[in-house]
Amino acid sequence: MTEAWIWPPGLPGPSAHVRRRAGDLVLRHPAPDAGKPEALLAALRNGHRVLAAIPSGDLVRMVGAAAETLTVEIGSASIQEVAANARLSSPMTRVILDGMAASWNTDALDRLVRTEFPDPRALDGFVAETEPRAGESTDASAKRRVRAAAPPVTLHFGAGSVPGVSVTSMIRALLVKSAVLVKPGAGDIALTVRFARLLHRADPRLAGAAAVQYWPGGAPQWESWERGLLTGADQVVVQGSGATIEAIRARAPASTRLIEHPHRIGVAIVDPVGAPGAAASTARAAALFDQRGCVSTHLVLLLSGRDLAAHWCGELAASLAATATALPAGPSTPGELSARRQLEGRVAMKAAASPAIRLWTSDGAGWSVVLGPSEAFEPGGGRTVWVVQVADPEGALGVLSSLSPVLQTVGLAGLDGRAGFAEALCSLGATRIVPLDRVPFPEADWFHDGSRPLRELVRWGELR
Amino acid sequence: MPDELLPEIAEVTDELLLLFRQAGAGLDRHGAFDSLALRVHAAQRVCNPVLSRFWGAASPDEPSAWHEIPPVPVQAFREVPIVAGRAEVVFRTSGTTGGAGRRGEHHVASLELYRAAARNNYRRHLFGGAAMVDVISLVPSPATVPDSSLATMSGFIAREPEVARTTWAFHPGRGVDLDAFREAAAAAVSDRRPILLLSTAFALVQLLDGLGRERSRLPEGSRIMETGGFKGRAIEMDQATLYGRAERTLGVPRSHIVNEYGMTEMLSQAYDHVAGEGRRTSERVLRFPPWVRTRALDPADLAALPPGRPGLLAHFDLANAASVCHLLTEDYGHTTEDGGVRLLGRAPGAELRGCSLAAESFLRALGRGAGARAATS
Repeated sequence: MTEAWIWPPGLPGPSAHVRRRAGDLVLRHPAPDAGKPEALLAALRNGHRVLAAIPSGDLVRMVGAAAETLTVEIGSASIQEVAANARLSSPMTRVILDGMAASWNTDALDRLVRTEFPDPRALDGFVAETEPRAGESTDASAKRRVRAAAPPVTLHFGAGSVPGVSVTSMIRALLVKSAVLVKPGAGDIALTVRFARLLHRADPRLAGAAAVQYWPGGAPQWESWERGLLTGADQVVVQGSGATIEAIRARAPASTRLIEHPHRIGVAIVDPVGAPGAAASTARAAALFDQRGCVSTHLVLLLSGRDLAAHWCGELAASLAATATALPAGPSTPGELSARRQLEGRVAMKAAASPAIRLWTSDGAGWSVVLGPSEAFEPGGGRTVWVVQVADPEGALGVLSSLSPVLQTVGLAGLDGRAGFAEALCSLGATRIVPLDRVPFPEADWFHDGSRPLRELVRWGELR
Repeated sequence: MPDELLPEIAEVTDELLLLFRQAGAGLDRHGAFDSLALRVHAAQRVCNPVLSRFWGAASPDEPSAWHEIPPVPVQAFREVPIVAGRAEVVFRTSGTTGGAGRRGEHHVASLELYRAAARNNYRRHLFGGAAMVDVISLVPSPATVPDSSLATMSGFIAREPEVARTTWAFHPGRGVDLDAFREAAAAAVSDRRPILLLSTAFALVQLLDGLGRERSRLPEGSRIMETGGFKGRAIEMDQATLYGRAERTLGVPRSHIVNEYGMTEMLSQAYDHVAGEGRRTSERVLRFPPWVRTRALDPADLAALPPGRPGLLAHFDLANAASVCHLLTEDYGHTTEDGGVRLLGRAPGAELRGCSLAAESFLRALGRGAGARAATS
C-alpha cells in the first residue's frame, strides 16, 4: 500500500488512518484530526527557521541532488506506481518524468534562482540592489539594499492527475526558503511522497521543512482540518478548477497570501507550408499528459485553405494514431468513456448537420480530430484536437481574442519572423509563446500563468 | 426539415398510436419489434437527412435488426433539432448536468403520441386500485414550464378521469409551496380520497425538510411517484433514506412509492413497480412498455453486455418515431434476465483532469452558458 503522507520528523504520528483509492492505486493517509493542523504547522515553522539559515547556493544543490536522485532511482515498479496513481500508461509516465526532470536538476534550479534573483544572496539577507536602471539616479543616498523573504509556511493545493506538478511546487517553495505542506492532486500523490522522502533522507534540515499529505479536498469531514490549515498557513498556492479556487478564496483569511493558478488551455498556431512536421508536433503536444496539462494543446489555428486543412487534419490523425502506439493512453473509467462517447456523438451530429465540420476518430485508441468553426470549439480532453482554419495570422488573433481569459501556452510552427505577432499574442493573454515542439515541457524559469515562479512566493524588503 | 416528407413518419406514427393504446399487443411476436423498428428507421432516414448522414458515417452497413442501428448519444440533442417534420412542442433538458454549453432539445412532432406512449404505463403503475384520487404535483404545471417533458406528463396525469382535483404545489424559483400542499392534503383527508403525489426526488426532500417534525399523514391508499434523482443539485439523499422519511412523515408506505425513470430525449418511461404491490425496494427493477428495448453496452466498444453486467444504457423507444429511437444515455446500469433494468446512476469515474481546463469550466469562463429532464427549470 502506498503511503499518501509524510510529516516532519518528531511530530507524533496520526492516531488513525484512512484507506482510499486514487486512480488505480490503494493508499492510506491520516484520518482527519482537528488538532493536527496546528501541530503540523508549528513543526513546519520550526523547520523554516533551520531552512532559512541554509545559504541559497547550498539549498539549490541539496534540492537539486534530491530531484536528480528521484529521476535516477525511479525504477519500473515505481513508474508503474506513479502511472497507476495518475491513470496514465507507463511509457507516458516515463516520458513525463524525463521531461520534467530537466527542469528539476541542479543546473536548471541554479539557472532558475539566478534568473529570478540577479543576486541570489537576496534570499539570505539584505544585498545591494543590482545595477540602477536607465535614467535612474546613481546618487548614493538613493541606493537601497533589498531582501527577498518567503513567508515561513506555504500550503500548496495541487491539481488533479499530472505527476510532477506538486514536486515542482515543493521545489519552488524550498528554493525561497519557505517550509511547505503539499496536498497533491489525487493523481499526483505517489511521486510527491516519493520526492518528499528523498528530501527527508537527504538532510534533516530539509526533512523538517517538507510535508505531504493527501486528503479529499472540500469533503465535509475534512472541513475543520482544511480550515485550520488555511487559517494557519502564511501563504497558499492553489492550482485547480474555478470551483476549487473559489472555495479556497472563501475560506482563507484576508491575512493569508493566496496565489492562484487556475486551469488553462493551450493553443497552437500553424502555417503548414512553413512547418511540414507540425502535425507530428501537434499530436505530441496534445497527447502528452493525455491532454491534462495546462500546457496541453487543445486547439490548432491553421493558416490554410479548406482543402489543405482537411489534408492536414488527416496527417494529424495519422500522427495521433502513431503517438497512441508509442505513448498509449491510460486506462479509462466508464465515466470517461461515456463522456468521450457523448462528445464524439455530439460532434458527429454537428458534422452530419454542417459540411463545415469534419471528424476523424480512432477506433478505440481515444483520440479525435475535429475540423470546424471556432464557435464550436470546446476542450474535449483525452487527446481531442480541434482545428480551426484561418486565413492569416490576424484571423488567428481574432479567434484567440475570445479565449483570452483561459489562454496560456501558444505553440507556433511555421510562423518565424512575423514581427509584432508575439506582441499581439501577449496582449491577448498568452503568457508562454514557444515553438510548437517545445510546448509540453516548460523550462524551470517559465512564467507560470504570467507570474515569476519564485518571485511570486516572496515578499520584498528594502533597507535605505 | 422538409414538411413534405412527413407522411412517411405520419403513416408509421398512426400505427404506433394504435399499438400504444393496445398496450403494445403483438410486439412480443417473433420479429415484430425488429420489423417495426426497421420501418421506423427507414422513415427517419428519408425524413431526416442529418440523421441519415449521421448513421451513414457511423456504419456503412444496412441494419437487419433494431440493435444494429447506431445509437445517437443523448448529448447530440444539444446540437441540432432531431425531428422529422415540424415540432408540436420542444422539450428541453434542465441544464443541470455537465459537459456542454447548451440544453438538450427534444423536438416532439406529436404530443398525442407522447401521451399514448406514457398513458398506459402510468395508469398501470400509479393508479392501480384507486377509484378516484387527488393529485398533488411537486412537478411544476405544464402551463408554467411548457418545455418540460415531465411537467407535460404530469398534465396528462391530471386529466385522467380518476383525478378529482389537482394541486400544483411547486413553483420554479420558489420551490415547494407548503401551504398549497397542506391545504390539498387536508381536503383529501376530509374527502377520504387517496392522494397521488407526483414529485422529483429533489422536491420531495424539499417538502420533507419543509414539514420538519410535522406529521402530515396522507389518506390511506395514497401513493407517490418519485423521479429524477438529484442531478447537479446541492443536496443528495439515497433512495432508502428518502423513502423512509416519506413513510414516517407522510404515512405513505414504501410499497406505495413508485420510482419512475424517464428522460427528455425519450417519450416512454419505466417504473419500478405497481403502487401497492408489496415488492421490497431492493428487489424492484425498472420496466419499460413493450415498445422499448434496453441494452447495457460496454463503454469501451459499445458491445452488448449480458444481463447482470453493468454498462452504458441504450434504449430503443419506438415512441420516438418522429425524432430518433435508438439512444445512448449517460446512465449506467444493467439488464435483468427477465427484461428489467437496474439503474446504478451515472457511469463511475469522473473525468481525470490535471491543470487543463474542462469543457464546462471553459464555457463558464467564457460566459457561454450549459441536460437531465427539465422539471423545475
